[in-house]
Amino acid sequence: MNLPRILELLQEVLPVARLEVQTMPIDEHSITLPPDNLHAAVRALLERSHVYHLSTITGQDVDGQIELLYHFWEGGGLTLRTSLPREQTSVETITDLIPGASFYEREIAEMLQVTFVGHPNLQRLLLPDDWTGGPPLRYEFTLPDDREEGE
Amino acid sequence: MSNRMTIPIGPQHPLLKEPLSFMITVEGERVVDSTLRLGYVHRGIERLCQTKTYVQNLHLFERVCGICSHVHTTTYCQGVEALLGLEVPPRGLHLRTLLCELERVHSHLLWLGVLGENIGFQTIFMYAWRDREIALDIMEELSGGRVTHSCNVIGGVRIDVGDAQFSSIVSQLNDLEQRVEKLLDVIQHERTLRVRTQGIGYLSPEKIRNYCVVGPVARASGVDVDLRRDCKYAAYGWLHVNVALAHEGDVWARTMVRAREAIESLRLCRQLLVGLPEGPTQVRAPRRVPPGEVVSRAEAPRGELLYYIRSDGSDKPARVKIRTPTLTSLITVHDQLEGVETADVSVVLSGIDLCIACADR
Repeated sequence: MNLPRILELLQEVLPVARLEVQTMPIDEHSITLPPDNLHAAVRALLERSHVYHLSTITGQDVDGQIELLYHFWEGGGLTLRTSLPREQTSVETITDLIPGASFYEREIAEMLQVTFVGHPNLQRLLLPDDWTGGPPLRYEFTLPDDREEGE
Repeated sequence: MSNRMTIPIGPQHPLLKEPLSFMITVEGERVVDSTLRLGYVHRGIERLCQTKTYVQNLHLFERVCGICSHVHTTTYCQGVEALLGLEVPPRGLHLRTLLCELERVHSHLLWLGVLGENIGFQTIFMYAWRDREIALDIMEELSGGRVTHSCNVIGGVRIDVGDAQFSSIVSQLNDLEQRVEKLLDVIQHERTLRVRTQGIGYLSPEKIRNYCVVGPVARASGVDVDLRRDCKYAAYGWLHVNVALAHEGDVWARTMVRAREAIESLRLCRQLLVGLPEGPTQVRAPRRVPPGEVVSRAEAPRGELLYYIRSDGSDKPARVKIRTPTLTSLITVHDQLEGVETADVSVVLSGIDLCIACADR
């Protein structure tokens, strides 16, 4: 993972003044981006660097925002981090660049109620068809009490 | 006139060992389209783990998968240990890795048996599962459990190997290696197996990269990735791993890669036992984990396994994301099934080594 080269590349293609980089344990770096720049950043990584492997996308409800983490791997970990406000959780899909992201986006869509604009098939992946409990990984979700009466 | 027909495979189907639903559309004998529905064994583990302590979660994550249970706790422990800044003693790392490699042998032999059964080759199913028993016996001798070992703890492992166990395990490993060599010979030369698997389920290296496929499926298409060598986690820094590669990209190539990997794993097991360092096997870990986040990766029998763990400073994780390798290969099923005959659907599905419980979590 050639981090300085990747930072230089992202700085060049994105209209962001300064990219925020965090270091995580076990050889992983994360770069924070605005959600609007995410698609362009992934495109730049695929077209102009050796990074191609998206390990997964993590979605989480943290500090009043829905945070998405795109974990890449190329001889070391690289995470692109972006935050969406809870009222406006939509972001452009990256399945046109990386078809393998399809399942990860579908999972986040149902678990955290995020809309991936342009995703070809944003149907449920894991939750049952008759699920009405709301997005389970949102902060306000409480586990249903499934004990029967009299127990 | 169109003679299209849609056939459901699953959620309950003799072909599938776990529930999963495929709808395949056929035109005559050819498959033209397929759709996939997961979630029949979704247990909500990622949500449930937020209500349990780090130690309780060891037992939860061990149950994500019924085949590769040990590598799940390995990846999880590795992440939590990194957050805590704990240094696991070398003996602990060696024993942890030993179980990982034994698990790989058992998983690959189990898979070979399932493939044999699905193509109607019962003999190889019987032989592979008989030989797999040896790997299970060794794991039972080490940890007391055949499938769920409860061997990892945060800070090391709870097992140790004594002198008497050492010689017994080494002789069993030698026996098993001879048997797997024999199985490899059968795979290479048995016509029945070649006819059913060669040219089926082809994936090009470009597709592997586009779909971000990992593990033996990627290696069978000539994509040289193996985290044991590239990431050097656990005790792999002390070992030299020969990565098994093939270039045909079909189910036969995947069979070869897995059989060779099993032999390589047995070699690594012996190397780990012989070079087992002296000293303690674990260090004490505090209950609370300082705030922070970590991405922990390991090479499970089916490929890259990823755990993302975020701690908020309490004794329970704030978020754990698990990405299991099966999910990556499931995306390719649609492409692999296109144009195959209905009789070969079972071969394609076997070829990627499905673990639905893993994919559903």
